[in-house]
Amino acid sequence: MPLAQFLRVSKSFGATRAVDAVSFDIARGEFFSLLGPSGCGKTTTLRLLAGFEQPDDDGGDIRIGGISTLSSRPYERNLGMVFQSYALFPHLTVARNVAFGLERRRVPGAEITRRVAEALDTVQLDSREFGGRRPAGLSGGQRQRVALARALVLEPEMLLLDEPLGAIDEKLRREMQLELRQLNRKLGITFVYVTHDQDEALTMSDRIAVMDRGRIAQVGSPAEIYEHPRTEFVATFIGESNLFEGEGGARIAIRPERTLLIAREEAPPAGYRLLPGTVEDVIYRGEMLRVLVRLEGNRRCTAALRNEGQLSRPLPWTPGTAVSVGWKPEDARVLADV
Amino acid sequence: MTIRRRILGAMTRRPALATASLLLPGGFWLAVFFVVPMLLMLGASVMQRGIYGGVEPGFTLEHYRRFLDPLYLQVLWRTIAWSALTTTVCLLLGFPVAWVIAASRRHRSLLLFLVVLPFWTSFLVRTFAMIFLLRDTGVINSVLMGMGVIEEPIALLYTPFAVLSGLVYGFLPFMVLPIYASLEKLDPALLEAAEVLGARPLARFVRVAVPLSLPGILAGMLLVFVPAMGSFLTSDLLGGAKQVMIGNLVQNQFTTARNWPFGAAASFAVMAVVLVAVMLSLRLRDRDPSIRWSR
Repeated sequence: MPLAQFLRVSKSFGATRAVDAVSFDIARGEFFSLLGPSGCGKTTTLRLLAGFEQPDDDGGDIRIGGISTLSSRPYERNLGMVFQSYALFPHLTVARNVAFGLERRRVPGAEITRRVAEALDTVQLDSREFGGRRPAGLSGGQRQRVALARALVLEPEMLLLDEPLGAIDEKLRREMQLELRQLNRKLGITFVYVTHDQDEALTMSDRIAVMDRGRIAQVGSPAEIYEHPRTEFVATFIGESNLFEGEGGARIAIRPERTLLIAREEAPPAGYRLLPGTVEDVIYRGEMLRVLVRLEGNRRCTAALRNEGQLSRPLPWTPGTAVSVGWKPEDARVLADV
Repeated sequence: MTIRRRILGAMTRRPALATASLLLPGGFWLAVFFVVPMLLMLGASVMQRGIYGGVEPGFTLEHYRRFLDPLYLQVLWRTIAWSALTTTVCLLLGFPVAWVIAASRRHRSLLLFLVVLPFWTSFLVRTFAMIFLLRDTGVINSVLMGMGVIEEPIALLYTPFAVLSGLVYGFLPFMVLPIYASLEKLDPALLEAAEVLGARPLARFVRVAVPLSLPGILAGMLLVFVPAMGSFLTSDLLGGAKQVMIGNLVQNQFTTARNWPFGAAASFAVMAVVLVAVMLSLRLRDRDPSIRWSR
């Protein structure tokens, strides 16, 4: 049985439907991401799961462990939450922040001390060094860790994270991504992670729910979603896609790294479908060379060439070159009309 | 033009000059109209009483000694008690109001407008209006008698209740506004974080909302307590002769009793109480680190 289930859950604010009849399951122990642009309803979905918002009364239900949560408060759901702003209590020390939930549960003092130290240890903060400090005296990354420890110390079944790495600089962010993933594996706690960063979602998740305008556009593993995007939204939001018209007028998507780029006069390999174009711009990205090609009908597409040494010499493409772009029919993904 | 430019140039080069020029007008005003009169009063309080008001030369502590008479200490004590009670009632009434205003998005401006609306009329007029409400033939008694709830009018005017009502009504906005300013800065995610961690509504209030709005609470308490200690209009109009506060005593000494030195001594006694209250609240806010962080 899945740990959490959304069954046709909607949430309206006035006339706007922030979440529109979404259904999905979250399996026990998995790293599950809600991914989408701002305003897609991902944070509202998380807040519904946390119990800060009540779903519309239209027959939808959210179940945790098979039991409906419609009448349970956030603290009755056995979950932890890490907020975007961290939401550390500024008037309490790090140790008291982490102890807050234990104190509310009337855990004996000696056990609180022990568990606080353990939790801080789990997130790699030394309780002797940081326990007595206040949140204002910590760096962003340290606050992040305290917020994690504060949630984990209660040993929740599920940890909800609302864009927790948004305010952290790039390098630390990559470290924290891996660390969160390791915590998920090590502790066996289900992580539900909200992010607008597709790269982050691909890096960390077991499964991703891509959200678009209050609806779930697609749920699947990172590979499934990247390799088989079902809609144009998914194909362009997760990674990049060139959109072409395929057989019988269907819309198809080709990834730039699967897009063939050859000089116009060159003979194409067998089995490729080809379109003529002109190189418009060439962008050197280190591991990749991205070539923007203008096609007939004022459309553009991108071909990404892996750097296998050929790019250390003068770049093989220059703007204005007449080229052909092509793709193998099996690399084309037919998109559903949504 | 060049003079203006030279002055501005001098200020840019020497920030201390700019600071001084900003402070000077207000500082001058306070020096002339606050510090000098205070010193004059302090002088008056240790001089001989003039027969027709004013003071005669000659140092004496007699007026302070006289204030220690149980009769006057009782007035001082009553003033402290009422001011403290007023502060407490204002806090109990004001905090929820501030909470609602801080939580509301759409009606915030309207609610704030309503809180300060009473200031549009003079305090004197509003206090007189309360007489019409509270007196034996006033609105409250008429309505209750009309409904048959009571046979005889209840004595409301010239009671401690009347004075307290007037004080609370008059000072409530001074409690609401600073608490609102504190609560408005309170991140709602903090209350949600507390809730996920298992804090029931009371615990969220006591453990999170109150400590983080303590600067506003303390400011509001001072803003109510201090002027309540010095008030005389409310007790005069609504309390009558029986409910004298220290403000009435001071006013009386300077007017009908023509004993300026004693009036001055009494007002310095009030100031001592106020000073203690201010220092207590400063101690409290310096001891609680939340106040530093919430700024």
